[in-house]
Amino acid sequence: MPDIAISADKLTRRFGKFTAVDEVSFEIPYGAIFGFLGANGAGKSTTIRMLCGILEPTSGNGTVGGFDVQTQPEQIKGVIGYVSQRFSLYSDLTVTENLLFYGRIYGLEGSALSGRIEEVLVLSGLNRFHQRLAGDLSGGMKQKLTIANAILHRPKIIFLDEPTAGLDPLSRRAIWELLYQLAEGGTSLFVTTHYMEEAERCNTIAFISDGKILKIGHPTQLKQDLSRQILEVACRPLMKASRLFAALEGVHGVTVYGTTLNLNVSDQKAVEARVIAAAGKEGVEITSIKPISASLEDVFSDLDSERPKDA
Amino acid sequence: MRKIRAIAFKEVIHIVRDRRTLMLIILMPMMQLMIYGYGINTDVKHLPTYVYDQDRTYLSRRLIDAFTQSDYFTVKTQASSLSQVYSALDKGLAQSALVIPPNFTGDLLKKKGAQVQLLIDGTDSTPANVALDASQAIVNAFMQHEGLVPIQVSPIDFRPRLWYNPDLKSTYFMLPGLVALVLQFLVPMITASAIVREKERGNIEQLLVTPIKPYELILGKIIPYLAIGVIIATSIITTMHYLFVVPIHGSIVTLFFMTLVYLTVCLGIGLWASTIADNQQQASQIVMFFAMPSILLSGFIFPRETMPFWVREISNLIPMTYFLKIVRGIILKGLGFFDLIDQAWPLFVMAVLVIVFSIRRFSKRMA
Repeated sequence: MPDIAISADKLTRRFGKFTAVDEVSFEIPYGAIFGFLGANGAGKSTTIRMLCGILEPTSGNGTVGGFDVQTQPEQIKGVIGYVSQRFSLYSDLTVTENLLFYGRIYGLEGSALSGRIEEVLVLSGLNRFHQRLAGDLSGGMKQKLTIANAILHRPKIIFLDEPTAGLDPLSRRAIWELLYQLAEGGTSLFVTTHYMEEAERCNTIAFISDGKILKIGHPTQLKQDLSRQILEVACRPLMKASRLFAALEGVHGVTVYGTTLNLNVSDQKAVEARVIAAAGKEGVEITSIKPISASLEDVFSDLDSERPKDA
Repeated sequence: MRKIRAIAFKEVIHIVRDRRTLMLIILMPMMQLMIYGYGINTDVKHLPTYVYDQDRTYLSRRLIDAFTQSDYFTVKTQASSLSQVYSALDKGLAQSALVIPPNFTGDLLKKKGAQVQLLIDGTDSTPANVALDASQAIVNAFMQHEGLVPIQVSPIDFRPRLWYNPDLKSTYFMLPGLVALVLQFLVPMITASAIVREKERGNIEQLLVTPIKPYELILGKIIPYLAIGVIIATSIITTMHYLFVVPIHGSIVTLFFMTLVYLTVCLGIGLWASTIADNQQQASQIVMFFAMPSILLSGFIFPRETMPFWVREISNLIPMTYFLKIVRGIILKGLGFFDLIDQAWPLFVMAVLVIVFSIRRFSKRMA
C-alpha cells in the first residue's frame, strides 16, 4: 500500500465562468487528519466532491486510495467513507435499519454484517439507541450515526464535510474523540471545519479561499510562520482606541476581544512605541501592552487581510 | 442482486411507514371503483315520470303499464292537471311526462288516429335520446300487442344486435378502463415521489458516494412499486368482477402479462418525471400534466373515433390508448394476445425505451 492516501495535483473545477476550485494541490498520508479550512463558498465541498468521485474535475489530477479521480470514480467509492454536511441517512428507518441497508450496499452480509454493526454501534456509543428512528435522534447522535455508517466497510480514507457544524461543545468533543480513534487505526481523515480549535487538532491544515489554497502546513508551523506579530493592548475607551490604532502605520488589523484589543502588526517594537504615543495624545488610557503568541484565528485573519478586497 | 434486494427492502419499509402514500395506494382505486361503478352510471333507467291520464280506460292503463314495465320509466305521480305536469318538469321532479287525452280509446276504436304526448326533459341529451328511442319501441310493441296494427312483412328483415355488451351497461365499459386509468395516475405518482424524496431529503448525496450502480439503484426502487401496481390491478379487477359482475371473457394470464408491460411504462414515466423534478410537489405536477391528456384522449371516456385527425395522432403516443383497447378487448371481447398484437407492440417498445432512457439519464455524477 502506498503511503499517500489522498493526493491532489492542480485539481480544478469550473462551473461556467466561475472557478470554484483553482489548481489545488496537496498530499495526505494514511493515519493523518487533514483539516480543510475556509469560509462558506470557498471551495471546500467542491474539492471533497471531486475527491469522492461524484464531481468530475475540469482539469488537474488526483488520487484517492491509489485510484484516479478522473478515470476510476467507482473504485474510489468502494474504499472511502463519506460524512455529509447535512444529515443524509433515512429518517424513517431505525439506526440498525440504516446500517443494515448501507452495509448491504457495500457488499457486507450475514453474520459479518451484524457483527460489524454491533462494533460500530459500540464505537459510536449508539448501541442503546439502535431501535430508534434515525429522525428521532439528537443532532450529535445523528452525526455519530453518520460516522458509524461511513466506517461500516472499514474504509482507510474518510471525508467529513463539517461533521460538527451546529453541535454543542460536548457532542463536538465526542465526535473528535471518535475521529482520533479512527486516525490511530491508520485511517486518514479529510475534515472541513469552521472551528479554529478543531483545526488545531489536525496534523495538517490548509486554508482555502476563492478556490485557492493560501497556506498549508502543521498548525504550529503556520503560527510560527506568521510574518506579523500580535500585540495585545488592554485600554479604554475601547472603541475609540480601536479606531485610533487601526489608522497607525504598521497595524494591519484590529480585533476586539472583550476588554482588550489584538493588533495584527509588522515590526512589533516600532508599532508599540507608536501606539503608546498616539494613546497619550488622544487621551486613551492603556493599562497593559504585550506581544502574545498567535492563534490559528490570527493566521486566518492575517490571510484574510491579504486578500484583495471587493471594491 | 443482493444490492437490488437491499434497496427494494428499504423501499418497502418507506412505503409501510408512510401512512399518506399507503392510504393513497389503498383508497384511490377503491374510490374510483365506487365512483365509476355506482356514481357515474350512464345507463338510463327508471326515469321519473308523471302521468296525466285524462282517458282512464282499460287501454290507457295498458299503455301506462307498458311504459312502467320497460324499466326505462317509473311512474312517480298520477297528475291531475297539465299545469301540474309542467311545473314538475320545470322543477326537475319529473324527467318525462306521459299525457293521454280524454278521447284516447274512443279515437283508437274509431281509427281516427289517437294522440299521446310524451314530454322529455332534453337538458341532458344522452338520457333524453335513450328515453326517446325507448318510448318509440314501447309504443310500437303496445300497438302490435293490442292488435291495433297488422303485423307487416317488410322487404328487409333488419335485426340489429349489440355484441359484447348487449345491455349497454356503462360499468362494462368503464370498469375495465379503470385499471388503465388508476395505474396511469397512481404508479408514476408514487414512483416519482419515492425517488424525488431522496433528492429532497439529501439521501441521494450519501447514496452517490457508495459503489452502487445506477441500474441496481433503479431496479431496486422499481420492483416494490411494480408489486404495488400488480396489487392495485388485481384489486380493481377482482372488485369489478365480483362486486359489479363484469364478466371476464379472455385469459387472466394474458391480462396480467399485458398489465405488467403497461405498469413498466407507467413506472418509467414516474422515473422520468423524477429526473426532472427537484421536489415531490413538482413531480406530482408533472405526472398530473401527463395524466390529464391520457384520461381525455385515450378513449377512456370519449370515443377516439370522433376526434379530429391530429388529436387522434397525438393520442397514438399515449400508452393508455393501447392498454385501454387491450383490457377492454380481453375482458369484454375475450381477445387473445395475438388478436391484440397491434396494441401490444407499441407498449413493449415504450416500456423498453422509457426504462433504458431513465437509467441512462440517471448519472451518479453531480452537475
